[in-house]
Amino acid sequence: MAGVPLIAAAASIRPALEEISTRYNEVTGESVRLVFGSSGTLANQIANGAPYVLFLSANTAYVRWLAGLGLTQGPPVTYAEGVLALYSRSGLLGETENPLMALDSALQHGVVKRLVIANPEYAPYGSAARAALEHAGSWTRARPVLLLGANAGQAVQYALQGDVDVALVPLPLARLAKLQETGQLQVLPKETFPSVELHQQMVLLPGADQKTHEFFAYLQSIDSQEIFRRHGLLVPSPVNLTLQP
Amino acid sequence: MLSIFLEHDSPFLGVDFQLPIGTLSAIVGPSGSGKTSVLRAVAGLLTTERSRVSFDEDIWSNTGARCFRPAYQRPLGFVSQTFGLFPHLTAAENVGAALTHLRRRERSREAQNCLDIVGIGGLADRRPNELSGGQSQRVAMARALARKPRLLLLDEPFSALDHSTRKRLRVELKRLQDALAMTVLFVTHDLDEAAELSETLVLLRRGKVIQQGPTRELLRRPSTVEAARLMNFVNLAKAKWAGSDASGITLHWGDVLLTAAKGPKSQPDDTIHWTIRTSDVFLVKDNHPNESSLGTILPAKVVEVIEMGSSALVSVIVNNSGGEVLRLQLRPGALHRHHLSKGSSVKIALHAQAMVLLDPSDASLSANRAKSKL
Amino acid sequence: MDWNAFHLSLQLAAWTLVLLLPIGIVTGRWLAKTQTRARPWLQAFFALPLVLPPTVVGYYLLVFTGTRSPIGEFIMSWFGVSLVFSFPGLVVASILVNLPFAILPVQRAFEAVSNELHDAAACCGMTPWQTFTRIEMPLAWPGVLSAAVLTLGHTLGEFGVVLMVGGNIPGETRTLSIAIFDRVQAFDPLAAGRMAGFLLLISLVTVALGYGVLERRGQQRQKSA
Repeated sequence: MAGVPLIAAAASIRPALEEISTRYNEVTGESVRLVFGSSGTLANQIANGAPYVLFLSANTAYVRWLAGLGLTQGPPVTYAEGVLALYSRSGLLGETENPLMALDSALQHGVVKRLVIANPEYAPYGSAARAALEHAGSWTRARPVLLLGANAGQAVQYALQGDVDVALVPLPLARLAKLQETGQLQVLPKETFPSVELHQQMVLLPGADQKTHEFFAYLQSIDSQEIFRRHGLLVPSPVNLTLQP
Repeated sequence: MLSIFLEHDSPFLGVDFQLPIGTLSAIVGPSGSGKTSVLRAVAGLLTTERSRVSFDEDIWSNTGARCFRPAYQRPLGFVSQTFGLFPHLTAAENVGAALTHLRRRERSREAQNCLDIVGIGGLADRRPNELSGGQSQRVAMARALARKPRLLLLDEPFSALDHSTRKRLRVELKRLQDALAMTVLFVTHDLDEAAELSETLVLLRRGKVIQQGPTRELLRRPSTVEAARLMNFVNLAKAKWAGSDASGITLHWGDVLLTAAKGPKSQPDDTIHWTIRTSDVFLVKDNHPNESSLGTILPAKVVEVIEMGSSALVSVIVNNSGGEVLRLQLRPGALHRHHLSKGSSVKIALHAQAMVLLDPSDASLSANRAKSKL
Repeated sequence: MDWNAFHLSLQLAAWTLVLLLPIGIVTGRWLAKTQTRARPWLQAFFALPLVLPPTVVGYYLLVFTGTRSPIGEFIMSWFGVSLVFSFPGLVVASILVNLPFAILPVQRAFEAVSNELHDAAACCGMTPWQTFTRIEMPLAWPGVLSAAVLTLGHTLGEFGVVLMVGGNIPGETRTLSIAIFDRVQAFDPLAAGRMAGFLLLISLVTVALGYGVLERRGQQRQKSA
């Protein structure tokens, strides 16, 4: 297996990245090995010597941290922007233009028994979720009913269990898990979590060889951007304006 | 000579004695006396702080010279109290365990031989859990003898067996030892067993040798009060040393005058302990002449009579002796013939040769050693 | 069904067994026979992995043997291997975590070989090595087998420490248990369920075989009684 680039990526972009790597294989005949986890956990592993050659994070903070430790190679590139979605069980919040406000009201009325987010300490989407709740003034009320997932993927896992009322999770994963079938899925615009950014940054790591560089370049191609967009992420291209949840 | 010198501080052990080669010797003592430790030290299974053990010219341990030969390098056989048979091997394989220097065919032949010698040749393929106590003991014995050792060590070899098996095996041990002319050292708490089997006896108590010597002599003449107690001499009395001449030692026992044939020529301290076997105290019929060959005749009063199956124990107090009780053994028939009961007046005889004068303390131990070394 | 992952699991189990069993025998026997006063402390130390969550063990391994630690750097410069995020690292972690399984049953088995038998063997002229091979081992091997079976079963199912120390690197450290977890994270419960069932079956068969052998041996002893 040596020689096949080992790439660490945030759990939240799993479906998009898996599709990209399949496409990459169809186009170039080359393959890559993918490892998913929460961005924070992966960054930690890299700091402890994990043999990854490319790191796709769900935010910029962890990339910056690694760069600060001198563990990266070359400048980081923003490949997409994450989209946070709010999932609520059928009928819980009703039709609303402002899901966060409706959530706050529901929390006040005590109808929310369980609220899932990724762990804010080391998952960027968790950070964003927390920021959104704080900004809406619901954080303190939400805490007693919070359930934390070790990464965005696990958060969605929990959301799939029957007794979760609300989940703040990445849009791509929510769609992959078909959460929209059991409830309502609404996109939360960036403004709802002003202090946190979900600029998905990727950076090469020491040990990156020619093959890695090629895949790195492919990730920035139009093909990849299209795939990212289809999975619900925002892409840094002038073309993108609309979002389809 | 089997030379044994062992010293250890805690638990205390301090012995220094020698045993003749080619005979059966026994170490007797109560539990906790250290007798098993002595045996294990001789076997090389135990180390003491200071030790010198040698078998003839073969030095087995010498702490002074930093030399210690481990058990598996000593030419000995060892049988422990519960035999220590290897449960996963047959009887023949157990014996074969001592014959690892032989090739397989020779080994099984020799093992069968050894089993035949101890009389259980037919049990070669049985496992230890299929053997009775007596059979197990014989396998252990065969195994211990397989290497034709110079020394055979036995740790309470018969205590785990029933009475009749014990008796039978004692005879066989004696027979074996005679036939093989081996040196055997066994340890037991049973004085009778030691008396029956051994030619040399070592009395051990609290890690020290109390007395040592040829068995028959030892049993008849304990040297100290402690030895007498260990050997269950029930008659222990005190008297005053009153002089010694050609006929023996004179003692004042209360107001009574006694003569002992053997004893110290001088006694710095007035008081001397003495003992006599219960079977050496005789009842004298009334119509016997006073100056008889039975010894000193003394009038006494019976204070207790205990009948026990084949013998009776009569306790008397000799008139004017100071009140100490003397016990004598009688056959129950004699008891009834003399019409003895509590309060009866009797006459008893104490022969000078049967009187044993005792040293009170261990200060005489070195003197004892000098006396009883062969 | 991730056969790669299954092979990794098997390899991990095999390596752990091969390397740990001798350690278990030597240590277990020493603990059984030693008189040192430190014995209770040593026993507690070897039993630690039973009490510590595997992730804690994994964490300490990461911190103390990771490539940025002095030990990690030393090993890298001398052997060219890393003990984290690599298969050798998994083996090391697995050995540590399985110490109690390999030592305890062996220790008990050797303790059961009474001192009396040792004495008898020595007085039969057997050297310590002969005593070990002809008397102790034949009597203690059920304990060794127990240790082997426990270690094997435990290693096949190891997760926490493997995840911490190994990461989730396909072909390198993605054992079957990690693969199952990975499939769950990928919203592929079917694959996860299939692999989980397979792992369950394998573990059950392995442990059952082991106990079967022990059972038969116990019956044999009984029959000859």
